Amino acid sequence: MRRLALPIAMAALLALGGLVVLELVRPAAPPTRAEQARRIGDELRCPDCQALSVAESETAAAAAIRRQIIEQLADGRSPDQIRAYFVARYGDWILLAPPSPFAWWIPAAAVLVGTGVLAWWLRRGRRSAVPVSPAPPRRTRDQIRDEVEQLDA
Amino acid sequence: MRSPWLRWLILPLVVVPVGWLLFTGLGRDPRLIPSPLIGKPMPAFVGTTLDGDQFSSADLGGKPAIVNFWASYCIPSCVDEHPVLLDLAARHGDDLAMVGVLVSDTPDGARGFLARYGEVSWPSMLNSDGQISIDYGVTGPPETFFVDAEGIVVARHVGPLTAAVVARELAVLGLKP
Repeated sequence: MRRLALPIAMAALLALGGLVVLELVRPAAPPTRAEQARRIGDELRCPDCQALSVAESETAAAAAIRRQIIEQLADGRSPDQIRAYFVARYGDWILLAPPSPFAWWIPAAAVLVGTGVLAWWLRRGRRSAVPVSPAPPRRTRDQIRDEVEQLDA
Repeated sequence: MRSPWLRWLILPLVVVPVGWLLFTGLGRDPRLIPSPLIGKPMPAFVGTTLDGDQFSSADLGGKPAIVNFWASYCIPSCVDEHPVLLDLAARHGDDLAMVGVLVSDTPDGARGFLARYGEVSWPSMLNSDGQISIDYGVTGPPETFFVDAEGIVVARHVGPLTAAVVARELAVLGLKP
């Protein structure tokens, strides 16, 4: 039985790996129209609220945009065409995510530059720190102690 | 040894731009972003007015026009701009076309507003499905679009109209303030 343990474990691992690969390469089911509408609504800013998407908001303006998205999907327009439709009216402002992928790198670059500057600043400060003076010789310390005792007396 | 001035230069080089971005960015109203409609033909519309008539953008008659988005719940901004609109209509009734568009409002609410703050001589579109608001990229009332005689959108004003704003935009439309 012990001799079979390794092959069984290997077979189980291979089967598990195969299932993972299968799950990764299996084509996803196409989204339904409602899912597509929800995704587009998630990407659009509600025009008359603060920091809410069209999908999340209950305002009449957001509801009108949701209706428009569903109608346009029913007419066969693609999500990109629908996004472009709203950008043509509201400008890029209507998009919750910046249209340029470059914009996503700006915060990361700012953090990297900031960390670099801080590290440089700290290293420089440590190098130029004032050196600690060596302890005075024993004779001087004894002399100081004697003088303090005389003052206290 | 590095030059000491570099140490004092690096801090303002980092702090000043970040501070400037924060102070200017946080103080800006995102609704004031320029409309992509500027310089383009006004979006056409057709529908029922508050009086129950049919009205379309073609009825503006080839005159400079203002399209004013408003609502009865928009207080105090729409109340503040109402006398400015009434004055504008009184002075430019012949050479300027005006049309109002309700934003997410009820006809009864709008009628109540006009009864209280002054009846108007121009039509107001009911805009029940919000389509005109979408076509003009309206972010909330009050918002006003200035259109020239060729039907090109020349300006958008977000917030209540004032006499100064009207004078400035009338000059752009080629009308006497």
